[in-house]
Amino acid sequence: MAAYIVRRLVWVIVVLLAVTMITFAIFYLLPTGDPAVRFAGKSPTPQVLEEVRRQFGLDKPWYAQYWHFLSDLTTGDKYGWPGLGFSFDTRIPVREELLERAPRTLSLAFGAAIVWLTLGVTIGIVSALRRGTLLDRAAMGFALFGVSAPVFWLGLMALWLFAETGGGPDWLHFLPGTGYVPFSESPSEWFTHLIMPWVVLALLYAAFYARMTRGNLLETMGEDYIRTARAKGLTERRVVFKHGLRASLTPIVTMFGMDIALLVGGAVITETVFNIQGLGAWAVRATFNQDLPAVVAVVVVSAFAVAIMNLLVDIVYAWLDPRVRYQ
Amino acid sequence: MRHWRALAIVVVALGLAVGAAACGGDDGGEATPDTTATEPATTGEEPATTEEEPATTEEEPSPEGPQAGGTYRVDWEETFGFTGGFDPVGEYLGEAFGIQSGLLVRTLIGYRHTAGSAGNELIPDLATDLGTISDDGLTYTYTLKDGIKFGPPLSREITSQDVAYAFERIGTESLVAQYGFYYTVIEGMSEFMAGEADTISGITTPDDKTIAFKLTAPTGDFPFRLAMPAAGPAPREVAGCFTEAGAYGRYLISSGPYMFEGSDALDASSCDTLEPIAGFDPNTSMTLVRNPDYDPATDTPEARENFVDRFEFKINSNPDDIFNKIKAGEIEDAVASEPPKVIREYTENEELTPLLHINAGDRTWYITLNLTQPPFDDIHVRKAANLVMDKEGLRRAWGGPTAGEIATHIIPDAMLNETLADYDPYPSEGYAGDVAAAMEEMKLSKYDTDKDGICDAPECKDVLYVTEADRLRQDMQPPTSASFEKIGITLKVRSVEGAYPVIQDVSKNVPASGRPGWGKDYADASTFMVLFDSRSTLPTGNINYSLVGLTPEQAAKVKASGTVEGIPSVDADIDACNVIPVGDERVQCWADLDKKLMEEVVPWIPYLDATATQITGPTVTKWDFDQFSGTIAYAHVAVAQ
Repeated sequence: MAAYIVRRLVWVIVVLLAVTMITFAIFYLLPTGDPAVRFAGKSPTPQVLEEVRRQFGLDKPWYAQYWHFLSDLTTGDKYGWPGLGFSFDTRIPVREELLERAPRTLSLAFGAAIVWLTLGVTIGIVSALRRGTLLDRAAMGFALFGVSAPVFWLGLMALWLFAETGGGPDWLHFLPGTGYVPFSESPSEWFTHLIMPWVVLALLYAAFYARMTRGNLLETMGEDYIRTARAKGLTERRVVFKHGLRASLTPIVTMFGMDIALLVGGAVITETVFNIQGLGAWAVRATFNQDLPAVVAVVVVSAFAVAIMNLLVDIVYAWLDPRVRYQ
Repeated sequence: MRHWRALAIVVVALGLAVGAAACGGDDGGEATPDTTATEPATTGEEPATTEEEPATTEEEPSPEGPQAGGTYRVDWEETFGFTGGFDPVGEYLGEAFGIQSGLLVRTLIGYRHTAGSAGNELIPDLATDLGTISDDGLTYTYTLKDGIKFGPPLSREITSQDVAYAFERIGTESLVAQYGFYYTVIEGMSEFMAGEADTISGITTPDDKTIAFKLTAPTGDFPFRLAMPAAGPAPREVAGCFTEAGAYGRYLISSGPYMFEGSDALDASSCDTLEPIAGFDPNTSMTLVRNPDYDPATDTPEARENFVDRFEFKINSNPDDIFNKIKAGEIEDAVASEPPKVIREYTENEELTPLLHINAGDRTWYITLNLTQPPFDDIHVRKAANLVMDKEGLRRAWGGPTAGEIATHIIPDAMLNETLADYDPYPSEGYAGDVAAAMEEMKLSKYDTDKDGICDAPECKDVLYVTEADRLRQDMQPPTSASFEKIGITLKVRSVEGAYPVIQDVSKNVPASGRPGWGKDYADASTFMVLFDSRSTLPTGNINYSLVGLTPEQAAKVKASGTVEGIPSVDADIDACNVIPVGDERVQCWADLDKKLMEEVVPWIPYLDATATQITGPTVTKWDFDQFSGTIAYAHVAVAQ
């Protein structure tokens, strides 16, 4: 197992190299113009443009810049380790910006994940065990709604209903509106500011998870070994939770790993609607603004998250399913 | 039966969704923020959406009058959009000018920070008066007032050397002064910029209170240039620690009535001990508090009243939320594009109308025509295009009259003292375009071979037209294309995210674009004429989109192809106006050049003199517009206590 993990970690590095190289290549092969122009003022002189290119390192070929990036990433730059340079847009170290934004996105992603796992898996189990009942239909109706409703719409509706500045009934306005308060500043404010984004983001995923849990559990509960377990006289609770649910969770774990990893750089709409100023919104703005260091930083973090979560998923697989063994 | 039940569930769910969407319509929607405000020369461009003409309100004092104290909270949509990390030498957009000029950086001469022509006039700020100009117009001398200090942690008197040092910073290549070209007229500045001199020979400081500038040529608008924030005093002991563009922005030492919160905690004992001031995080917020070293006696209330105790600027990515907060009184103001429904609400609801402020933006929006590219290399085609263009249709796309006046020439009327207010060389009924006159003009073109008023040459088919991939430009496209088609020109429209870099690349030879707009740097028409100065033409980052005055030699350098012979130049006219001192004669010179451009060169189809629209909250007891920066006059706002 240890050798397997080491091998996978080596692959993580390979993946990161490939992804960052592709990002660099795209930046240079599909440019919408000279990035230096954007940062040299509205009527730049050739000297100013040249100086901006020099400061941004854009005066070198892309492979030289890439090498410089790799070198700084591994050994650090004047702003610390890992060296990610400075943002063309804000002129502050990308590392500093990343460290400020990452907790926001992680708070959002993991909080939402807890909500959608709890909600989705619970609804899925109840729905599977009460198949065909009103409860099952209501649960699947919820799932349909969750899957159908766009996140931005849900977000705006939630703000309208529950935020202090919302336009809905006054008695429902018990939550602060948009924004983010660091946990270190005020745990309660952190929590109340994140409830709405958590629930809104979780609804979509919970719907998927509920449908998937229900389907998997129904399928598993029809397996021979479940019948055997029942024949052995195990309680229904034990049959469901120890034998049925555990086996049906494997695909859920796969999906969860990917979902949470993708949210690290991809919760753009939720971050925008709720003004969370996380990594996703930053990545989008940086892309539009041709802010290469910021784009690469988010790409590195996102790719790292995906690779690591994949590894964790594989490890959890082995724990969930005794038949899985890694060499 | 089972299917019917399933269908019923689907119908109910969809019904709920649609119903909820309808409820959300009043408050939701519009989740995609516009990002154009960070692009060159494009701030404050977003359209309004009503046909009604609301009352213009410049300030709305409460019955009790404005009171000192309180916090003025402003949300910024998406980003601060600073161009140079907030270092004054690198900031080149109105939003930064507004904060720096009004609150943080005093200059030798400055502005009243008020609306209208009064806001465009210069008044003394650091200096005791508007300065002395030598008879030959080459030397400007200023004396600093007593008692003006830098804020914490320096808290020391500002001297003429601090002002001189600001020009050294402008001339330091690595700091990337974005409008450093305004100061190359100072003797020795070019040599300093090139690293050929250690000092700027044309700037002398005979004592701590006196500073003199010697110019290489008479430059009538030089006082305006001294009023730009980059020319404000900079303390060498702090600013000198930073040698890269934008780095000083987080350590900015105030010379104005406010400062970054936490400035007093800055350890300026050496460069090594400096840490970014807590009150400014470029990602999220900026907080300003009163500068304890500011002495109101050295200033004047007409320039700065400084009612509020504190300014809080925060980034908010949700424009709906921003305007909900303003309406609810949770914040006072915004630097954001008002969603169309918000403008509609504030123009239609009488209770809210006083909170909508519309002022002249001193900004012209136009369709640029490339003089090297067929069919626009023919002046008759350019004139016909001007005649046929449905400018009212374009203004409708912007939201109607609230968006501004129809532009009939290049320089905004307010900057020409209304000299050309009635001038329209290409008139049409209701600004809808005069097809008959356009066809008559087209008959004179070489591209109308059968002289029927319709362009029949292949050069008029599928003419590349680059524009922005946003809603506004999509709305502009039907009237634009329809107008061109009336004279036989069909457009091949390319909508791109970030059209500016495309049209600023000369080698792309873009024949026409509906993307550009241009706003003044200061209230002198020279800041518009840089767009037609052939000497400023660059291969990339070029702003002379029409390539006015391009010579064949230049064309080869900047990789322009097409018709590069015989392009008219106005360089000499620009030079002639530039030497005239600020005043009526200078204004008339620019007005005449504007007419020459519109009639003899025809590089643009100007269509809109844009207004600047602002919505304030109910807690605001005094509000004004800063005509210089084209944004909130922070130095004059007040809030209810």
